[in-house]
Amino acid sequence: MASLDSQLTALLGPHRVLTSPDALLAWECDGFTVHRSRPRAVVLPETTQEVQAVVRLLHAAKVPFVPRGAGTCLSGGPTAGADAVVIDLARMRKVLHVSTDDLYAVVQPGVVNLDLTTAVHHHGLHYAPDPSSQSVCTIGGNLAENSGGPHCFKYGMTQDHVLGAVVVLPDGELLHLGGPAGPRGPGEPDLLAVFCGSEGTFGIATEITVRLCRDQQGVRTLLGAFATMTAACRTVSDIVAAGLVPAALEILDQATIRAVEASVYRAGYPEDAAAVLLVELDGPLEVLAEEAAEVRAFFALQGALRVEEATDYAERKRLWKGRKGAFGAMGRLNTDLYVLDGVVPRTRLEEALAGITAIGAKHGVVMTNVFHAGDGNLHPNISFDGRDPEQTRRTVAAGREILQLCVDLGGSISGEHGIGTEKLDHVRMMYGEDDLAVMQRVRSVFNPSGLCNPGKVLPSRGACAEVAKWPQMVAKVLDHEAKR
Amino acid sequence: MNAPTPSSPPSAPSPTVPRSLHELQELLRAQSGPLRLVGSGSRQHRLPQAPANAQHVALTGLATIDRLDGPDQTCSVDAGVLRRDLDASLQPLGLELPCPGDGTLGGLFAADPIGAAAPGGQSPRTLLLGAEAVLADGTLFRSGARVVKSVAGFDVHKLAVGSEGRLFALTRLHLRLKPRPRAEQWFGNGGLSLADAIALVQRLRQLPTGLAALQLAWTRDGGCEVRGRIVGRAAFVRTTLQANGLTASAPNWRDHVAAAGDAEVLSTLALPAQLPALLAAAPSAQALLWHGGNCCEVAFANAADSDRALAALPKIPLAARLVVAAPLRRGLATAMDPGVSRLTRELKLALDPHGRLV
Repeated sequence: MASLDSQLTALLGPHRVLTSPDALLAWECDGFTVHRSRPRAVVLPETTQEVQAVVRLLHAAKVPFVPRGAGTCLSGGPTAGADAVVIDLARMRKVLHVSTDDLYAVVQPGVVNLDLTTAVHHHGLHYAPDPSSQSVCTIGGNLAENSGGPHCFKYGMTQDHVLGAVVVLPDGELLHLGGPAGPRGPGEPDLLAVFCGSEGTFGIATEITVRLCRDQQGVRTLLGAFATMTAACRTVSDIVAAGLVPAALEILDQATIRAVEASVYRAGYPEDAAAVLLVELDGPLEVLAEEAAEVRAFFALQGALRVEEATDYAERKRLWKGRKGAFGAMGRLNTDLYVLDGVVPRTRLEEALAGITAIGAKHGVVMTNVFHAGDGNLHPNISFDGRDPEQTRRTVAAGREILQLCVDLGGSISGEHGIGTEKLDHVRMMYGEDDLAVMQRVRSVFNPSGLCNPGKVLPSRGACAEVAKWPQMVAKVLDHEAKR
Repeated sequence: MNAPTPSSPPSAPSPTVPRSLHELQELLRAQSGPLRLVGSGSRQHRLPQAPANAQHVALTGLATIDRLDGPDQTCSVDAGVLRRDLDASLQPLGLELPCPGDGTLGGLFAADPIGAAAPGGQSPRTLLLGAEAVLADGTLFRSGARVVKSVAGFDVHKLAVGSEGRLFALTRLHLRLKPRPRAEQWFGNGGLSLADAIALVQRLRQLPTGLAALQLAWTRDGGCEVRGRIVGRAAFVRTTLQANGLTASAPNWRDHVAAAGDAEVLSTLALPAQLPALLAAAPSAQALLWHGGNCCEVAFANAADSDRALAALPKIPLAARLVVAAPLRRGLATAMDPGVSRLTRELKLALDPHGRLV
């Protein structure tokens, strides 16, 4: 260990290699706080060459390593085992190039999502994928997780906006995927598409080329408050069936509304409403008024209790404040929050929400719902006290049942948070052994040694003891459930 | 396919046509020699020649539209479903598959010859939500999902896009659909110089919304034409047409560069600003067709001219591949990034270790 530390220090200097237990505390988990594990060391490279040198060293020493952005992942993706070194990319935060003619930017992986939009805002441009954590999460982390966000309904996921990447493979080899003109050269397989969303298990992107979008002429944000969740969901269906493609369609349930209104994220949402639906329209000025009128008509059709429309930036910011701050507001409800992430066909949202409510009641957990209704991407949130094993057990059990419900309704166990360690045990809800074996073959092409972020995404193979703790907890819950 | 090509083939052997997934699996398990997967055959003349002993397997027998979910704007279709049949089924639902191309859907997605039709637009890559597929050894696997959003597991299905059927056989595709636009108008502005055409394309690329297709067509004799399709509400379509000086026209989309005689065609990816350099490096080019997603095809009168272009394009730098040529020349390409080249080989080994899919 001493030898490895000194070699890392020789590469990066003493201030960019952290090994003391206290210093490592900040890297013991990501946003999935129920799974904690302190890494062996953390290194802070600043260039592609430094990442390459570190990876070569760790590969030669057969030491596992875990790339990490801002640590906002919600599935344990960047949580490292005790034998692993975290390669923290937060210091790689330069916007290397912006092309306003060709609408792309080349950035280092540690650039914060919102900072990129801020950097190009004066050109009338923005970066479209906008996870709720966009003020802190990084483009590198977004690429690893194929992150989404409220505006993905219209604009697509991270994968749809990444044009190229320079990647350090797990053996230190450098790879140039795609570029400003597109993600795949003539006759090449789409390696970038499969790299995106590989949760840091295929290598480390050190330069990322992303598409920039021209700002729309106008934006209108409407809020509809409804007496029932059913009415809110049906309004979403009506809007989509009419051929409208809003930039965002977001729903918050009553428990979320009340948590938000009691917090610093207070947005003036009506607390007596069972659900609030936010609809954001963007586009040419000549069509916005027409589209807003159609949305208002759909609100009326489903008996909206209250309708608000923001027409300027300040009002729009207020309406979004509650939605963007919803997860933070839930900190008021208990010490811990388990943010679930399942997807169902949009047309089955009502059924899914009814099922989720029943599951919450069955397990006696405090549940709130805030979700991307346009995509059918649900975020049931369970507030619990992680110091209480019984509450934790019930939380895990409810979460598992909810994800099974999503799969049973034709959906997915993750829309944007990834598998990480959180859902290792749930992957088989969607995939059989042959499916997983093919995925494993593909991962082995990029990461034959298995040293790059081991124990993530695919169950069983390569999981070290620390990383496997969470699945073991899930397994205990399953045993417990089976015995009841 | 709009243009006649010299190597229009088809002396290909009669393909075997499995009628079910099970038959396909059995066929793959029973065979040990090379196999060429085909759809309706409309793009076979653009692929490297298969070995003489390769058995051709057409997936046209897998032709069921399994699921059309109008309200959810998704569908699941067998690989052998014809694009025109899916379009006919989607029309009454007010939906469309927003990417160009014809033939079978499996063939269209496996070839992905054009990518997106418009800047930042939808492409086979973005529309393929998930898939069921069969490896060369007959193993059936799934990847992705039927819903519009899923990040569970690795997107192995996306590797099929552009793979030309050499990694595995797509058997069922889960696709994202879009509502048909309320109004649309095609346009075509011809008689432009290359500089003026590029300037117009650059201006149109900066529009925040509305273009569903954009092309720049150049020919040695006829100058340039910029054409495309504007979609949206009627007022927007009208305004966009007028504000940009665009000339309304009938639908005028072309999938491939117009080429004739003994022409060869190179495919490349180029930004509009790179087109002058591309043509300077390929002074004997006869025609060029650039698509909004930056896929570009250049036609040459003969093999010597395209060889010179293949040698010159990396200096721009542009990568290119010969897609229309005599059978033995198809697939000739500029050098790949060494890492991409290695991974491509290893991916093939991992998924088709005996190299049977050719």
